[in-house]
Amino acid sequence: MNTHDRKQLILGNRVEELTKMETFLEELGTDWNLPMPLVLNLNLALEEAITNIMFYGYDDEESHTILIEFSRTDNQLTIHIIDDGHEYDPTARPDPDITLAAEDRPIGGLGIFLIKKVMDQVDYERKENKNYLKLNKRIEK
Amino acid sequence: MKLEITTSGQFKIVKVDGRIDTTRAVEFESSVVNLIDQDCNNLIINCLGLNYISSSGLRVFLVLQKRLAGQQGVFRLCCLKPEIQEIFDISGFSTIFQIFPTEEAALAGEK
Repeated sequence: MNTHDRKQLILGNRVEELTKMETFLEELGTDWNLPMPLVLNLNLALEEAITNIMFYGYDDEESHTILIEFSRTDNQLTIHIIDDGHEYDPTARPDPDITLAAEDRPIGGLGIFLIKKVMDQVDYERKENKNYLKLNKRIEK
Repeated sequence: MKLEITTSGQFKIVKVDGRIDTTRAVEFESSVVNLIDQDCNNLIINCLGLNYISSSGLRVFLVLQKRLAGQQGVFRLCCLKPEIQEIFDISGFSTIFQIFPTEEAALAGEK
C-alpha cells in the first residue's frame, strides 16, 4: 500500500462539517475511481456514524475533533472513525423492528442499523479513552 | 436541495431535487409541514430528483406519514431511484409507504 491508498479527514463536532465530508467523499470517489453506489453507501454510513457522535457523544459543550481515516486495497475499503467522546459501542445496539406498521414505528433509531446494512463489517474498540469504529466494504467493479 | 410544489386535482405534489440529509432535513420537514398546515390533506412526494437520503430524511417521511394518517389524509411517494429504493427496502419503509413508479400512477392510486 502506498500513500495514494490512504487519506484522512478531520472534522469538528459541528453539523456544518458534514458538507465538508460530502465534498471530500465526492473527491475520494473520483480519485479512487469508486462506483457511485459505493460512494453513496459510504456517505450514508459515515453521516450516520458522525452525526451520532456529534449529537450524543460528548458530555461537555467544548470543541472536539473527529478523525476519519480511509485506506484501500484493490478490492477492499477500510474506514476508521476515531473520536474522544464518551464510551459508546454502536455495534451493541439492538436492531430496530423493521416489520412494524407506520403507526407503531418509533421516530428515529435507524441510523446505526443503516451503517450495519450498507457496510460489510463494522467493528468497535475502546482504547486510550477514544472510540474506534472500523468499517469495511468490498469494492465491486 | 430544491423543492417545487404543484397542484393536481386534490393533490399537492412536492418534487424534491438533491439530498435529504442531516443538514437539509429540517428545511424539508418545515416546508412540507407548512404545506399540510395550509389545508393540504393529499400529498405526493415525487422523488425523481432525490439522489441521497439518510436516516434524518427517512425520519421526516415517517413524521409526514403519521401526520397525514392522523387526519385521514393521503400520503404517496413516486419515482424513487434504485439507490433510494434500496435504502427504503433496508429500513422496512417500502411496506410502510405507498410507493408508485410514476406520478400518474401515484395520482390514480394504482400500482
